[in-house]
Amino acid sequence: MQENKNISFGHNEFNIQGKVKGAMASFFKRRKKSIQISKNEEPGSGQEKKKEETGPMQAGKSEESSAGKSGEASQKQPDALYTSLAANLDKIKRKTGNSPDVVIRPIKVGGAQAELETAVVYVKGLVDDQSIHDFLIESLMNNAELQKELSPEKAMKTIKDDVVAIGGIKSVKKWDDLFADLMSGNALILIDGSEEALMASTQGGQRRSVQEPTTNVAIRGSKESFTESLETNQAMVRRIINNPDLWVESMNLGKMTKTSVSIMYINGIAKKEIVDEVRTRLKQIDIDSILESGYIEQLIEDQTMTTFPTVYHTERPDAVAGNLLEGRVAVFVNGTPFVLLAPAVFIQFFQSVEDYYARFDISTAIRFLRVLIFFISLVGPAVYIAATTFHQEMIPTALAIIVAAQRESSPFPAFVEAIIMEVTFEILREAGLRLPKAIGATVSIVGGLVVGQAAVQAGIVSPAMLIVVAITAIASFATPSYAIAISARLIRFLFMVSAAMFGFYGLILALIMLIVHLCSLRSFGIPYMSPLAPVIPSELGDTIVRKPLWAFGKRPQLIAAENRTREGKNQKPKPPESRGMKHYTRKEEKDET
Amino acid sequence: MEKARISAFQLFILIVLFELGSAMIVPLAIEAKQGAWLAILIGAAGGCGIFLIYYALFRYYPDESPVHFVRHIIGSVPGKIVAFLYILYFLYLSARVVRDFGEMLITIAYVETPLFVLNLLMVLLAVYTIRKGIEVLARTGELLFIVLAFLFLSAFLLIAAGGTLDYGNLKPVMGEGLAPIVKTAFTQTIYFPFGEIFAFMMIMPYVTDPKKVKRTGLLAITASGFVLASIMAANTGVLGVELVNRSLFPLLATIQSIELADFLERLDVYFMLAAIIGGFVKITLFLYVSVAAAADLFKVKKPSQLAYPLGVVVLLLSIMIAGSLPEHIQEGIKLVPLYLHLPFQVILPALVLLVAFVRHKGRGKEGEAK
Repeated sequence: MQENKNISFGHNEFNIQGKVKGAMASFFKRRKKSIQISKNEEPGSGQEKKKEETGPMQAGKSEESSAGKSGEASQKQPDALYTSLAANLDKIKRKTGNSPDVVIRPIKVGGAQAELETAVVYVKGLVDDQSIHDFLIESLMNNAELQKELSPEKAMKTIKDDVVAIGGIKSVKKWDDLFADLMSGNALILIDGSEEALMASTQGGQRRSVQEPTTNVAIRGSKESFTESLETNQAMVRRIINNPDLWVESMNLGKMTKTSVSIMYINGIAKKEIVDEVRTRLKQIDIDSILESGYIEQLIEDQTMTTFPTVYHTERPDAVAGNLLEGRVAVFVNGTPFVLLAPAVFIQFFQSVEDYYARFDISTAIRFLRVLIFFISLVGPAVYIAATTFHQEMIPTALAIIVAAQRESSPFPAFVEAIIMEVTFEILREAGLRLPKAIGATVSIVGGLVVGQAAVQAGIVSPAMLIVVAITAIASFATPSYAIAISARLIRFLFMVSAAMFGFYGLILALIMLIVHLCSLRSFGIPYMSPLAPVIPSELGDTIVRKPLWAFGKRPQLIAAENRTREGKNQKPKPPESRGMKHYTRKEEKDET
Repeated sequence: MEKARISAFQLFILIVLFELGSAMIVPLAIEAKQGAWLAILIGAAGGCGIFLIYYALFRYYPDESPVHFVRHIIGSVPGKIVAFLYILYFLYLSARVVRDFGEMLITIAYVETPLFVLNLLMVLLAVYTIRKGIEVLARTGELLFIVLAFLFLSAFLLIAAGGTLDYGNLKPVMGEGLAPIVKTAFTQTIYFPFGEIFAFMMIMPYVTDPKKVKRTGLLAITASGFVLASIMAANTGVLGVELVNRSLFPLLATIQSIELADFLERLDVYFMLAAIIGGFVKITLFLYVSVAAAADLFKVKKPSQLAYPLGVVVLLLSIMIAGSLPEHIQEGIKLVPLYLHLPFQVILPALVLLVAFVRHKGRGKEGEAK
């Protein structure tokens, strides 16, 4: 039309003709559309099917090419739902491969004269059967309003507003959204003649109930542990922090699994840059599946060439709450009880929730013990190897004689001996971990008594070596975080090699290298060794030592945002003066004067 | 220069670790006999003086590496030559420290191990650290400082409790007057270890708060002076002047003398740990400075690429600079302070500062005229 105008400038006749053409075209469009609808009402027509078989993209193209005829292309997108119920149900069936657990329940509503076909679609097992039956199907069947004569649009509105007694309901127009919702456990309500579908949130089904934590066991503190359900997990944290500033953002990750993942943080406490960083890193994930939070952990960490965890994970809601209150960001993944916390610092892995529940002196002592434990599990066998092979003069004489006497009968050098015992122990541990509990006990007897005792009696390993290996093993179990214990387990062998080759020199160099490596790590931009290095004097009180709770003034400055005040001043308890001897006598004197 | 920032506190710790580095294990200033500790303190005061020269230069160009600003001051070509000489100087010093430690390890524990292997491990660790950058080195320093502080405090406590300390050994102070003490200070201690702080000219621009550099530097030199003086005093007190003079590593002998409760004895590990930490920081800093300066001078885009080649240079140099331990020590005492330290640490910087001063004065007047 535009071209026409330009060419025939001044020729009014042509112009008018053009306008008339346009008007006629739009008139036909309307006619065609009404014809199309009436055709669609007959399921047997097969027109839709033909289009479908050529695939959605091609169907769109062919529609565009035949735009002049049908005149519908400009309105309909390839992804949109069809008007016909039968066509929609057909598409659902084909897309799900006729899987029997996708339940399609047709229901007829409307008056006797004008019956309106509807259908409820849901996936068995993913939905809560109770709410499907009571609030969806039954109310659809028995609602008086729906027994009157209704147009599809009116029926849709009535169902949405009056009939379905379920909290979350929304309308869906695209196939992608429809399938995403259907497969996550929502129920669909389709109505013949409407291009929209209603989606009622009926997620439910069998999940593991809330149980006691099995990995982060604490003697004091909440006995709840996260479950596999994302919603339950979020709710458990919300029950601890009853504050509207606790914000949640959700997304679906994994092209095949469409796993729901959500990040949780406290607005005003969490640093905006860190939240943004977590969000962008999550959004960058392009993978087919997310089966556990470990997938996410490995895809968002800062440094991949390290054995140390730079993202913390826990299954305790109170640990998540505590960390959120320090300004960290939690990442929940549906299908796993392990929630990620970022940014993580090294010293965090030596802390446990009950450190904050117990008094500070006890917590501090236990934290010192934990660092010692970590150190022993790291260098235990290495020190033994270095001392017995390179630096015998450094062992006190009496002890040196005992060790030497034991080693006399051993056919192997200390390093080989240590490697044999360490590997044996690792095998035992791995075996014990995977076996059923009943057999696990047998393994520990066979391993502990038979292998250990027999190896010493046969003279293959010296008893001193066995003691060292045993202490190391227990130490590695006593480290509160499995993630850090397992990295110590791996690095231990490196230390043993360096100690076997160069004695204490090699060991010290390896230790310095470890420190350099730890200092080079970052977790979401935060130096891993902070607040020890770079040292932040005001925060040293919550590292290896734990200052009294009433002295916790501020949140960590590298992690928390503007709202850093944790508690008011003068939080030290001030009980009434005691009736001690000193006070009593003083009062007496006062009374006399 | 890499994009990095270190805090004034980290600078303090690096300087202290650097100064203690190799100085704490050798018989420092023993020519002054019982006055060794005094000579060290005088040396520290002199070191503060030298530091002020460097600081004055730093104040003129607080954001630039010395490799750059020396060209502004004395012209492009002479500036490049001077920068190149300094790179060689740092490489040599780095190699010296590596050799010191290799020889020490051979002497005390690894009689059979080849010097090359011991040096190789140390240089590898230094190169590994340098590739991580100055920030990581600074953070590592903070952690190592805690270890070193713990070692020192407990060692002093054990020496005091062990009863091996004989205060009589420290007398007479100034038995031969002040002259030998001052002479030792000016021929040795000012340059080694305190003058070596020149290497920090390359580090100072990284400090977040340039105003704190002066105070931090002076404080760090003074602190390390006091620690070194107390180490030498403890050595002299425990071993006596004669023994200190004869032993290569008096601190080791002092620590070996600790015998407590039939259990705390032969604490050689103490010494080794302290020595290796100090040596590591010193070698790494020298090597870092040469790598950074070379990258600046030759416009290498990724400074870390130079770490391995220069590491190899230092490793080979450390083997080649002397045929034997006595030769190495003789060079260190007789030649290096006079022919290397004095010109590179004092004379050249002072001259450059003079030129800079004159130029800036002239420029200032021009500015006023305009």
